[in-house]
Amino acid sequence: MQAHDPETDVPPDATPYVCDYCGQPFARETHLALHRGLEHASSLSEEERAAYEDAHDEEVDNLRRFRLLALAALVMLYFGFLMTYAVVT
Amino acid sequence: MVSVPRSRRAIRLALATGCSIATWTGVAAAHSGSLAGATRDPIAVPTWLFLLTGGGVVGVSFLLASFVTDRQLVAAVHDWGRSLPDPGRVLRALLRLAAVSVLGLTLLVGFLDRADGVRNLAILVVWVVWWGGYVATTYLLGNTWPTLNPFRTLAEALPSLDRPYPDRLGAWPSVAGLLLLVWVEVASPLADDPRLLATVLATYTVVTAGGAVVVGPDTWFARADPLARAFRFYGQLAPVGVEDGRLRLRLPGSALPDTVLDGRDDVAFVVTLLFVTTYDGFVATGPWASGARAVVGAGVPPVVVYLGAYLVGALGFYLAYRASARLGRQRAETYLSATYLARRFAPSLLPIAAGYHLAHNLGSFLVLTPTFLAVAASPLAPPPSPPQLAGLPAWFGGLELAFVLLGHLLAVWVAHATAYDLFPSRLQAVRSQYGVTAVMIGYTMLSLWIVAEPYVPPPFIAS
Repeated sequence: MQAHDPETDVPPDATPYVCDYCGQPFARETHLALHRGLEHASSLSEEERAAYEDAHDEEVDNLRRFRLLALAALVMLYFGFLMTYAVVT
Repeated sequence: MVSVPRSRRAIRLALATGCSIATWTGVAAAHSGSLAGATRDPIAVPTWLFLLTGGGVVGVSFLLASFVTDRQLVAAVHDWGRSLPDPGRVLRALLRLAAVSVLGLTLLVGFLDRADGVRNLAILVVWVVWWGGYVATTYLLGNTWPTLNPFRTLAEALPSLDRPYPDRLGAWPSVAGLLLLVWVEVASPLADDPRLLATVLATYTVVTAGGAVVVGPDTWFARADPLARAFRFYGQLAPVGVEDGRLRLRLPGSALPDTVLDGRDDVAFVVTLLFVTTYDGFVATGPWASGARAVVGAGVPPVVVYLGAYLVGALGFYLAYRASARLGRQRAETYLSATYLARRFAPSLLPIAAGYHLAHNLGSFLVLTPTFLAVAASPLAPPPSPPQLAGLPAWFGGLELAFVLLGHLLAVWVAHATAYDLFPSRLQAVRSQYGVTAVMIGYTMLSLWIVAEPYVPPPFIAS
């Protein structure tokens, strides 16, 4: 149970986006941009910082969409169970 | 490791020996000891809906956790902590001495005392005090086993050969040891027969001391001893832990997201910890009894049926968990390997195991504590019908259910925090949890089903 470097496994036909600072591979450019902003925030170039901010904005938009879906799922679960309980018991 | 029948068996044995006590005590005790009484009596809900609700609660808590998207907040919850003073060497030495004396006394009483069941101190010490009470402290307070472990104290007193530990074995011996210990517990009347219990305990002592002499105590207890390893994992969940060699107070479960298991062997160990609890309960259900009777009727020896189901089940649990890690890897579009994800997410299963342990054992621990005190006062001449707690309040069943639920909620939160630690994109983090959440929902429904099934004594085994 000690700290380890993350163990990666890149499929042979994939072209990963690799972090220049630590060598970790990513499947998407946005993931790499976010990773750089979170893990290597102090050593970013102008360009990398801009990429991080773009990726972050996109992430926030996507999260907002996900939250709506999650809320819809919650409401459906709630009413689904309410109805089921009303019918069954 | 064992919990469902441990409590049920303890209660059964409490009933068997406490015949002279009025019947209502027995009824109350039977209720307090098992979740089945708590979940089935007050509500008339069909089983499928009960199971679906349990699964739904886990699913909903996953969705709710996914609303917490502030990285700083998630990290702050887990970084909170205070330093604690060191307990001191004298106290430690006294505790070790006391633990060794308890082991010696248990062995002595187990071999010498004629009384059976809950009138025997050995049975009470092992199943009520140690299994029901002490084990709960390893995840509720902190893992004190490295200090208390009487087997370790004995082993350290012996000279060590310090042979190299074969690295390719990894922690697999502990997985095998855990499976073996629980197998012995399920297949033999270990909770009724003090001589047998003392024999198993003596065998365990000899094997442990022998192993520690050969490879050195540190290596043995870190990699091969199933109990020390189980408590170490439970201790990761506890609010008091050792960080950088100092005692530290932290929020329960907050060390788990940073816990990286060493490899597949560690993952298998955690999954096995969860599995053995389930198996123990599963063989005490009606469908198992009728299924086993049918298969044995067709000419298969009972031991093959039990052992087969045991090993196939353990493998099935492990493969299901592996599949969940692969699903998580695929959904999160990550190049982190499935094994690495399995190693990171497996600690989130520990709160579930702890929640079930507490729910299944707290009742019998409370009911039988007066029995233990009475018998401990005169171990070799125990009272003919030692006292028991006359019953637990009706809400206690709800409390047990709450422990199970709390374990699951903590598990979902730990998985959430782990995912945030692993992935740069928060959406990736959410998606990576689909697999492990599916496993948790499936496991909840399976355990709730086992718990809701009325207790049926497992056929063909002497217990």
